[in-house]
Amino acid sequence: MLLEQVEYVRPESVGDALEILASDEGAAPLAGGQSLVNVLKNRVASVDVLVDISRLAELSSIARTADGGLSIGACVTYDALDRSPEVRASHWMLGEVAAHIEDQQIRNKGTIGGNCCLSDPTNNLPPILVALGAVMELRSRTGERSVPAVDFFKGYFATALEPGELLVSVTVPPIPEHSGAGYASLAVGADAKALVRAAARVTLDGSGATIADSCLVLARVAHVPVRDAEAEARLNGADATEEAVRAACAGVADGMQPIADVHGSSEYRRQMAKVTARRAVVQAIAAARGSRNGSTAGGK
Amino acid sequence: MTITSAPVTGEATKTWSGRAMPRKEDWRLVQGQGSFVDDGGMYGQGYAWFVRSPYGHARIVSIDCEPALSMDGVYTVLTGEEAKAMCEAPFFAIAPPPGSLMQEWPLAVGKVRYQGDAVAVVLADSRETARDAAERIVVEYEPLPAVTEGVAAADPTAPLLYDEAGTNVVWHGVFDYGDVDWALENADHVVKLDRLHFHRFSSTPLECNGAVVDFDHGTGMVSVLSNYQMPMFAAMVIGPTIGVPMNKFNFVTKDIGGAFGLKIGFYPQIAALALLSKKAGRPAKWTEFRTEHMLTAGHGNERTFIDIEVPVMADGTILGVKARAFDDAGAYLHYEPLGAVIWSQVVPGCYKLKHVRVDYTEVVSNKCPVTPNRGYSRMQHLWMIERIVDVVAHELGLDPVEVRKRNYVQPEDYPYETPNGCIYDSGDLPRSLDIALELAHVDEWRARQRELGTGSGRRIGIGIGSTLDSGTNNFGQSRIINPELPFSGNGEVAIAKLDLFGEINVNLGTTPQGQGHETTASQVAADILGVTPDDVTVSTGFNQANNAYVGFSGTYASQFAVTGLCAVMGAAQKLRHQIVKLAAFALHADEDEIELAGGVARVRGDEERAIPFIGLANMVYTNNAGLPAELLNECDLNARYAYVPPFEVPDTVAKTGNLTLTYASQVHVCVVEIDEETGEVKILDYAAVDDCGKRINPLVVEGQVHGATGLGIAASLYESLDYDESGQLEEPSFYEYHVATSLDIPNIVCGDIESPSPFTPNGAKGMGEGGGAPLHAVCSAIQDAIGAGGPIVTDSHNHWARVYEMLQRAPGAPRGVEVISRSAGSDTGATSL
Repeated sequence: MLLEQVEYVRPESVGDALEILASDEGAAPLAGGQSLVNVLKNRVASVDVLVDISRLAELSSIARTADGGLSIGACVTYDALDRSPEVRASHWMLGEVAAHIEDQQIRNKGTIGGNCCLSDPTNNLPPILVALGAVMELRSRTGERSVPAVDFFKGYFATALEPGELLVSVTVPPIPEHSGAGYASLAVGADAKALVRAAARVTLDGSGATIADSCLVLARVAHVPVRDAEAEARLNGADATEEAVRAACAGVADGMQPIADVHGSSEYRRQMAKVTARRAVVQAIAAARGSRNGSTAGGK
Repeated sequence: MTITSAPVTGEATKTWSGRAMPRKEDWRLVQGQGSFVDDGGMYGQGYAWFVRSPYGHARIVSIDCEPALSMDGVYTVLTGEEAKAMCEAPFFAIAPPPGSLMQEWPLAVGKVRYQGDAVAVVLADSRETARDAAERIVVEYEPLPAVTEGVAAADPTAPLLYDEAGTNVVWHGVFDYGDVDWALENADHVVKLDRLHFHRFSSTPLECNGAVVDFDHGTGMVSVLSNYQMPMFAAMVIGPTIGVPMNKFNFVTKDIGGAFGLKIGFYPQIAALALLSKKAGRPAKWTEFRTEHMLTAGHGNERTFIDIEVPVMADGTILGVKARAFDDAGAYLHYEPLGAVIWSQVVPGCYKLKHVRVDYTEVVSNKCPVTPNRGYSRMQHLWMIERIVDVVAHELGLDPVEVRKRNYVQPEDYPYETPNGCIYDSGDLPRSLDIALELAHVDEWRARQRELGTGSGRRIGIGIGSTLDSGTNNFGQSRIINPELPFSGNGEVAIAKLDLFGEINVNLGTTPQGQGHETTASQVAADILGVTPDDVTVSTGFNQANNAYVGFSGTYASQFAVTGLCAVMGAAQKLRHQIVKLAAFALHADEDEIELAGGVARVRGDEERAIPFIGLANMVYTNNAGLPAELLNECDLNARYAYVPPFEVPDTVAKTGNLTLTYASQVHVCVVEIDEETGEVKILDYAAVDDCGKRINPLVVEGQVHGATGLGIAASLYESLDYDESGQLEEPSFYEYHVATSLDIPNIVCGDIESPSPFTPNGAKGMGEGGGAPLHAVCSAIQDAIGAGGPIVTDSHNHWARVYEMLQRAPGAPRGVEVISRSAGSDTGATSL
């Protein structure tokens, strides 16, 4: 790999890890290393001390919260998310997204914390966490704070983490009654980076015929996941039918200037944002009705 | 499925040849026991890391190596200027002027010409130190305007890569056969296309380049352990530059993890490592990293065709083609401009085009140098031919199958002489197409296509790719580029040896990279020597010390089944002759009474009179007192044979001659489904029919067909190497460059027919490159899905955004095609679409 010279420490506790992170500005937490090590390998960032938190048991568990949500330790791997009965029982789509991240070897190592904290715009989990209303639990030597996922992702490889702060867990609220989540990506090639993604959460009214509330998140349109509030406004109150969703999603991303890169032009991204948004919302409606219709949806 | 025509009879192909045998070498390779270049090393070696330009085009103002040299563990640094001072001449140029004025040295001198151009190389005690040190070297650049498009590069106002050449044009020539002007004047229709573009991509070997090079100050020997696929070409190019004669090189290769022609391109690195080793007084080991590979190790030729005119008769007979071609060779000429003539092995493609004029220009640009890449240079031209045949059918409302069959070279036409004097040896294209159509269930898909209609959001398209894999070059064609070149013909060497205890060993000049040479060479030798393939050891890779080579030795250009195996056949027959002679002496029999079976020589019909091979070896090597001198002189049990195919020097003025010995053919049929709202292309059915003459090992052949097909599909849908205007590669890693995996490649149904070559001793034809058939077939299928009146598929790469754009393009927008039809004797009525 030819990393630059770097110190490596493996603290015994989160407290010890926070001490090191606070005392050394060049220290960075190492969990699964699936993003960070690539960054270091390419020498686009430099780290003095790698603080290996991957074996800290207190960061590696998935717990049910009192309200029926999930508390997911930052070092829970994609594979653990995929195979967790708790996750699958209440937040099936979260497990599904994790199940489709790259290949099995990467899923064995990569963690939810790393996927979020590196904030690579192509990463899979940020948009679904934003759609599910997740909250990032941050801790430092001096205290704790909770940051909603939607505010956590700040830019290309940038987050709300302050120096010395560590993401310790992600709290995912329960999915309300008559609600479901959907996720759709478009990638050219089976293991390719997605060029656009959409994650959606919808709540249907009691009859199941109308969308009462929605959250529509687009990824790879900007460098961070963004909600399309205008599309949400059109969805809210619309019939929960494919036609109505298609109409509501026709204007998705119209007010945005999607990024252009080698994976897709700005205009192609805009058009594909509409397609993936519709696909995600339709899946979410099906999930809200108790079907797991999104089961074959690529979590890419 | 196998449809076999009459078997070739011959002394050499009795038992093992022709069998679909698993490969001998796989056993060690799948167990992780292969030995690749990075597994090797030399005593006292340092590790090299190249300092590379971040700019596409820039002047080198200064290089400060001091920060690196002051680091612990750094042995030395070599800069471009220093390397040049150690050289006797720039690298040998294939091109005449102005191409020959575009000089290259082991490292960049004065300026950098593409992103990744090497300006210096560090040697240190570890890879990590070498990389760290390389980062500390301060290079000051003055960026220059770049040119990154082939047609633009030829413009006299374009930024110049080589001021001393005064142009970016490397070579220009007109290939003019028949009378295309007459054909255009007399055709019923002329189909005109503005532009066709064959894109850049790579074959992405699993193993990147690498070399360990030692410059021995005591003996002057330069030892090169590498995965270079044409070792003596490297020796011939770099020897005069670094002042090393051929007999002071020792090139060695071991297992190679894929090469595809790309591993012909890195001789500058080997030269730089030799000089680095000379300076440091210790061996230099370099293992290329993936991003380095993608930036610098060589891309396939990118070619743009413009002003294409195709004369067609009302019945669909295509008379020929006229076009201008611009081939973009990138920043340096590695093996180029050979591509400027190599394509002319297949001037009319699979068709009886009689009138062809291609005005061909090769240019340099601020991009990675191109190297041969599976299908080298012919694929680009064949793709153009297939596009025009396809477009002709679509624009004139003719059945694409019928247009192909009408224009194909017919089975009874072989041997068929093309307008430029190449001889197509054998084949049956109409039958190949029929088999492919059946294997791809085209009748069912046509029905499904009609059912689907419009409004479903999905479209089905059926495409055909007919192509040729020409093999066994006549290097005399290089003289069409430069009449001064001292090259012609081809050849390969094998040595068959009976070792001290009667073991059989075969050494070859080839450099297998997955083609199964150890297996097929064993099959051929086993038949001749009366043993099993397991009794024959074929040395892995190339070793100059074996003396089994000619100048063109190596593995490239679809030729092993002819050059390699005919060399093995010749060597084994010579060895057999010696064995028989010794046995006849030992057994007091006549030579024609001796037969070989099971590792024993015996008298036919008298099994008691027999001697095992160990006994014969003993007679020669360790117990030879009293043996007649005449016998010892003739039977050293080391049989070296050089196979030389029959070639003449081409006519360099007319640009005609037999440029290659064999023509394997491939007909592929591809069925795609396109999602209209995304442009996603999904392959529903895929058939590949291959005809490579007599197959020595059908399993190896099918493996090659699968590999070439996967590669072509990947290139057509997923893989493209693009540069921005400043010369930055947009896909320098797998993050951006999606290398297709097994998940992307559909099930490939293979069919085959065997049309033995009349020109090769074993009836085989070289194969393995596949002629780019999937690129032709996928483009054709997308064209079919777009349907009548839609845009023309003008690019060989069709990722989903491009397909989406074509589907969205407004009716009435330029389609890139025009048909001019002549009505009853007057050329009126332009049906411009």
